[in-house]
Amino acid sequence: MITLKEGNWRIPKWNRKVFAVAGGLTNYRKFCPEMKIEEQAMVAFRQMLENNDLRFSPVEIKGLVNFLACGSFADHFQDQLLCEAKVTDYLGLDPMYDIGIKTGGATGGSTVLTAAMAIASGYADVALAIGWERMSEVDTRTGNYYIATAACKDFETRLSRIYSAYYAPMAVRFAWAYNLSEETRAKVAVKNHLYAYYSPYSQQPGKYTIQDVLNSPMSTYPLRFLECCAMTDGAACMLLCDEKTAYKLTDKPCELFIAGGSHTLRVADRRDMEIPLLPHETPEMYRGLRKKEGQRWPGFESFAAARFAAYFAYRMAGITNPLKELDLVELHDAFTISDIQTYGDIGLRPYGQEPDYIESGDAYFGGKCPANLSGGLIGTMHAVGATGIFSGVECLWQLQGKYDKFHGDRRIWDSFGKKKPEDWKSLQVPNAKQALWISHAGVGSHVTAGILRKAF
Amino acid sequence: MASKRKTTKYTGKPAKVLQSEPAIVIEWPRSLAHRHTYGKLSPFFKGLTEGKLLATKCVNRECGEHRLWLPPRADCPDCNQPMVWEELPQPIIGTVHTYARVEYAGAGIELTTPYFQIDVELPGVCTIFKGYLQHGTPEIGMKVKACFRTEDPSNTILDMYWIPVPSDADVRS
Repeated sequence: MITLKEGNWRIPKWNRKVFAVAGGLTNYRKFCPEMKIEEQAMVAFRQMLENNDLRFSPVEIKGLVNFLACGSFADHFQDQLLCEAKVTDYLGLDPMYDIGIKTGGATGGSTVLTAAMAIASGYADVALAIGWERMSEVDTRTGNYYIATAACKDFETRLSRIYSAYYAPMAVRFAWAYNLSEETRAKVAVKNHLYAYYSPYSQQPGKYTIQDVLNSPMSTYPLRFLECCAMTDGAACMLLCDEKTAYKLTDKPCELFIAGGSHTLRVADRRDMEIPLLPHETPEMYRGLRKKEGQRWPGFESFAAARFAAYFAYRMAGITNPLKELDLVELHDAFTISDIQTYGDIGLRPYGQEPDYIESGDAYFGGKCPANLSGGLIGTMHAVGATGIFSGVECLWQLQGKYDKFHGDRRIWDSFGKKKPEDWKSLQVPNAKQALWISHAGVGSHVTAGILRKAF
Repeated sequence: MASKRKTTKYTGKPAKVLQSEPAIVIEWPRSLAHRHTYGKLSPFFKGLTEGKLLATKCVNRECGEHRLWLPPRADCPDCNQPMVWEELPQPIIGTVHTYARVEYAGAGIELTTPYFQIDVELPGVCTIFKGYLQHGTPEIGMKVKACFRTEDPSNTILDMYWIPVPSDADVRS
């Protein structure tokens, strides 16, 4: 049993406020041969500098940057060690210091966390968080194997060599423990593919029915292909600043809080432990949770890393009731099941009632707290090192009221060689003030929870 | 000096061009063999080839965790003291905690698909041990028995598998 002491529970605190002011994405695709990875990083960087209504010119902004956090998940994919040095040079940011960040699927979140720590500590006034992945460097099955080396190499990797096989047991167990239907899982896939349909950046848009999802080919039972994230080539970046610089650069800065949690890579080793409570939860809520034989928390049903990330981030940002105080969320929907599991971890529903977040309609556009209006990982992208930055950028643009600007502009669709759908609709959340995004690795080995708050 | 220097010759194998439009994409072959150590867990993997399942246990009296660890680890994560080995008594009967049917596996898979991966609870063990079911269809709560690939072992975790209980003892792969 993991027992925590006082120091472990300390709530992270910035020494000074941190703000996000701008973001950039790329045209996410399975295979992007026309650009090298640093060239894709440039595309995201240019969008960030040129199209975010910043008051300074791109060259002036570059003149303010004094730190870079660079995220990429697997050296296997880039097949280029110290890729961050190539990117920093390519963006023309030499000799500013860049640190390469690697925490699997949570790399993007950890990259933003690192850049934020640089601002909060005073190391930098302006920091760039940038991430990328070029997963098409190998064929899909080799890519699946590479990703599966992020399972325990001695005890797990050889037992499937594909990541869906490490989430599928969680789906089976969760359905048994908490009555999750296949239809509810499929609804997550339908929703996120649909929201991707409205995004020019998306790789896997589609108008599917629940039956389409359930009839799609099986990856690992019970997870179908349409329930699994994309494998993507692409990049994303976000510009962070201290308070003074933020208001100089933009009239729409958003304050940033972000914290993380980690847990053993092997789900097998997640011994039963006490559930750390979120601000709105009480111990009584979970008295009957472990009612079935062999149940443990977090076990195969939940992610302690996500719970700890939320535990710290909510307190850091002063959030007392997430469902009430968050206007939207971007979750790490690598698989439908991991998306659903996370609803409990971050308190959108109490543990055991996660499916209700979907079934109630809360998770949809127009609902209480819509999730993954970007299309998420299932619909839009999972260029691993970029993902946790992409999700944050989508939150930022929502709070800045720029969903339409970045998703509805026909010129963006045209520049990607895509046709803007005739029935395109805006997914701008009216008057959104606060958003959360999750960046998640392994089978829940690392998770960051980032919160952006409108500061204008 | 310059006159003595031999001409530098290209000795490589030309890279295969996979496509040339809209950009040149070449094949970059990779064939590597790593030297991977099982380190202090070597007794576990040797045990599998001998038909034994070895777990580790913390014997530090001050520590709060005295159950077995499977997968084993040489050192206790709670008190950071070295642990000791303990062999599980046979027959090793576990309970299916959860499972998955792998249909689409990644490159290099060494099992025929589809197959069932199972996560097994074992009495006295604090962890849940991942493996595969050689035959039959798993369900949560089902009893399974550990078997070993002692002849022609793979020298990997695949030297252990599970079969349903009760089962035909003569079933062989």
